[in-house]
Amino acid sequence: MKNHLLAALMACASAAFVANTAHAADIKVGLLLPKSGPYAALGKEIEDGFNMALEEGGKSEDFKLVTEDSEAKPQVGVAKARKLVLQDEVDAMVGIVSSAVLGAVRDFVDGSKVPLVVANAGNDEATGKNCSRYITRVSFSNAQINRPMGEWMARIGVKKVYTLAPDYAAGHQMIDAFAESFKAAGGEIVGSEYTPFGKTQDFGPYLTKAKAASPDAIYVFYAGKEAITFVKQYDSFGLKKDIPLYGSGFLTSPLYVAAEGPAAIGVTTALHYVPTINTPENKAFVAAFKAKFDRAPSEFAVQGYDAGRVLVEAVKAGATDRASITEQLSKVSYSGPRGPLTIDPATNNVIQNIYVYETVADGDGLTQKMIGTIGLVRDPANGCTLK
Amino acid sequence: MVADADFWLTQFLNGMQLSMLLFLLSIGLTIIFGLMHFVNLAHGALYMVGAYVGVSAAASLGNFWLALIAAPLAVTIVGIFLYVAVIRRMRRAGPMNQVLVTFGLIFVLVDLVRILWGDIALGMEQPAILSGPAEIFGVSYPAYRLFIIAVGLVVMVALSLVLSRTQIGAMVRAGVENDAMASCLGINVERLFFAVFCVGCALAGLAGAVAAPVFSATPSMATDILIPTLIVVVIGGLGSLGGAIVGSLIIGFIQTFGAVVLPGFASVLVYVLLAIVLIAKPAGLLPARS
Amino acid sequence: MFYQTPLKSVTVIVILAALALYAILGGYFAGEIVVEIAVLAILAISLDFVAGYGGMVSLCHGAIAGIGAYTFAGLTALAGFDGFTATLAALAATAAFGLVVGAVTANISGIFFIMATLAFGQMAYVVVFEWKALGGDDGMSGVSRYDFSAIGLNMNGSVEFALFCLLVVLIVYAVAAYVLRSSFGRTLIGVHSNEDRMRALGLSVWKHKAVAFSFSSLLAGSAGILAAQHTLFVSPELLVWTVSGEVLIVVILGGLGTLAGPIAGAALLVFLKQQVSDYTEHWHLVIGLFLIAAVMAGGRGVYGQVEHVLQRKARSDANA
Repeated sequence: MKNHLLAALMACASAAFVANTAHAADIKVGLLLPKSGPYAALGKEIEDGFNMALEEGGKSEDFKLVTEDSEAKPQVGVAKARKLVLQDEVDAMVGIVSSAVLGAVRDFVDGSKVPLVVANAGNDEATGKNCSRYITRVSFSNAQINRPMGEWMARIGVKKVYTLAPDYAAGHQMIDAFAESFKAAGGEIVGSEYTPFGKTQDFGPYLTKAKAASPDAIYVFYAGKEAITFVKQYDSFGLKKDIPLYGSGFLTSPLYVAAEGPAAIGVTTALHYVPTINTPENKAFVAAFKAKFDRAPSEFAVQGYDAGRVLVEAVKAGATDRASITEQLSKVSYSGPRGPLTIDPATNNVIQNIYVYETVADGDGLTQKMIGTIGLVRDPANGCTLK
Repeated sequence: MVADADFWLTQFLNGMQLSMLLFLLSIGLTIIFGLMHFVNLAHGALYMVGAYVGVSAAASLGNFWLALIAAPLAVTIVGIFLYVAVIRRMRRAGPMNQVLVTFGLIFVLVDLVRILWGDIALGMEQPAILSGPAEIFGVSYPAYRLFIIAVGLVVMVALSLVLSRTQIGAMVRAGVENDAMASCLGINVERLFFAVFCVGCALAGLAGAVAAPVFSATPSMATDILIPTLIVVVIGGLGSLGGAIVGSLIIGFIQTFGAVVLPGFASVLVYVLLAIVLIAKPAGLLPARS
Repeated sequence: MFYQTPLKSVTVIVILAALALYAILGGYFAGEIVVEIAVLAILAISLDFVAGYGGMVSLCHGAIAGIGAYTFAGLTALAGFDGFTATLAALAATAAFGLVVGAVTANISGIFFIMATLAFGQMAYVVVFEWKALGGDDGMSGVSRYDFSAIGLNMNGSVEFALFCLLVVLIVYAVAAYVLRSSFGRTLIGVHSNEDRMRALGLSVWKHKAVAFSFSSLLAGSAGILAAQHTLFVSPELLVWTVSGEVLIVVILGGLGTLAGPIAGAALLVFLKQQVSDYTEHWHLVIGLFLIAAVMAGGRGVYGQVEHVLQRKARSDANA
């Protein structure tokens, strides 16, 4: 009895699948993003950017979206990814903010052969030793953002650096990548500390300790509310005037810099997107985004935009189903808001520019002053054997 | 580790700052606990509301000090509403139901804050007079943090005086010690509870507004602060001012010095301490009832 | 006293049968939801055993389930043990952890007990979070489900796994009910109602409480083993205190000290969450209001309320 029912269900399911793929125009996409919890703001930015790309490409009609709340929890993320693939039968998935969620869904995505476009999560393994044909990342890898900064800081004459980051996988990866290239370029790490992740509100004790090590500069990775708290406390402890603050650009992301206020002035960081990139593509994008949402786009919005854009490009190139989308995604290449964007066929990670920028005052508000560009940063394969 | 006296003095001030913030939150909670055996998990959510009201008031009124008055007032009004709508009816419902209802209140308040203020953390500027570093005992320390310590100490002294020297204080102490006896003596315990509850709300709102310039306002602060505050209350012993003071100082200093001396274990130290205290003294260090 | 009343039997069987039917007929995601309900129901039964009948309101049952999940995952995915051995080891680990927690917290009561269990749960969380060999904060994948292919069952099927989980719920319920009716269970209930009297009767109260907590932890461990197999993945998120809080919500929503109520509570909470989150991303708000309303309406929980109404009716019938 049960087997009959199962067979009937399977038949229905595969019929639905055939129906889906029969209409080339109808691409079903599952958006897996946090809608609640501390990452909800990022989820919203990514979704806004994603929708903008579909509209801009004139493809809103052709894509059917199913949205699920990952709550940024691995367990929930896996359950929702399985739902999107097995029940909704999506042709592609987009999203994933938390690296832990990406790690959790990796095997399932790889096994079910559904293309996944990662729009944030940066864990190096996802396009390194755990890479998959089916996982394409248009956001960044943790190493990609921090490695160039090590060389750059050594080049401008910084010799001794103290590092701080939250004590979780991403924190360690960001700092490790920076420290490795900084030391290779002749720099010295005079001390480093990892603060309890998500629980540290008071950086006072760590800042006091960092100051006592008397470095030339401090390099940190913090994001979200920890970034706001850190930047403000760095300033209030009076460290900023003696020891310049550097970091990965999430520290002074446009999304959070308003809450940081004047404390963020003078902080120098690196990121794959800054709203002040001076290209026609970016100016048009920023203007369109501002007109639509009445705020400047953050790097997260651009990641969402590019996640939508690569799908549109893949469909324009003739992709219609899971297999052909997977096929086309690895060939996508264009010049977008963040400059040239290419998917690396060796790892499926994005190849992109990294921008060094300083946060400066601009009237009453703050803006990003570009001070350096490291062109076309490409991650080594790190054990990935796609090619 | 190479560290001089200045280093340890700065860390001492860091510990004091955290302790005073915890004290502002835990004192309201512990007296409500002690007086009415009421478990109010939504206390942290009131702290969050205080921070958001503080941010908005500072932005719209353009004055930090007015924000510092507006936040406790607004939170007290929210508290009175909660009291009338929910808490008064739950007085005799037993601790399990109280835990659940106030747990529900956290969900509601956090989502209302998300709807009203959004998901993105909001910052609040320190008043100009407190924005720079100040010299104290020869070290340079953020003036605003000294202000937090001062606020905590002022509240601490004021509450000690009220509790030990005034008639209201005597009534509260009597209520904590034995509420049945207190009401036999003609004390309106219900009204007393309401008054204490309002003061607790106001202090939570004050703590939120005072903390906002340092920590910024986020929806997650409601639950982030809850556990440390509960730990303070439980370690100190329910219902006692002395317990709240001792508990705040212990937790504030353990967290601060744990972060310096044993960075990897900073987050577990507090729980280890909690377990040890409870195993050794199951009613906390300074319980109000003997 | 605990009686396995006809109402309890009917409730348990009707809910489990309805869930089984839903899993079979409802398609892939129905199976997933049923598994989620089953895991939560087992946890809630295990918590109700100590909280409802032993007065020990634990805020570390999520962490205990997490210990079970991690032990199972570590032994199968990393050490290459078979599922059966790993299951026994995971149950032993959770029982041992429960015995230690139960023994050292036996003299603590009320809110202090809640906080003490919270402390132990959080310690377990931090240990798992920092344990790099177990994947640290990234969690660990590579868990596989039981291999019942010998008897023709493919556990990777959503329906099969859901039905298996429901079977475990039934077993856990039956075992818990059996223990509550045994002299051990009657003594536990006696300790709950008057600890001093039991002590005066010569009972070693702390030992009894510790063993009861250990038994409850073992049941919770089985929920963890299923949770690990469900997502084929374990992460420290499993051990966070809010998971324990959710279990407590389920117990109270269903009816504290009813044993059957937690199953109803689990089904209710999961379905509610599912339905509401389809309509609004502010589903926490709706759940919160629902919780408040449910408690203020009487606080007996869904099952407890039904039982209460029926008993009152029976009594008034008898009087008439």
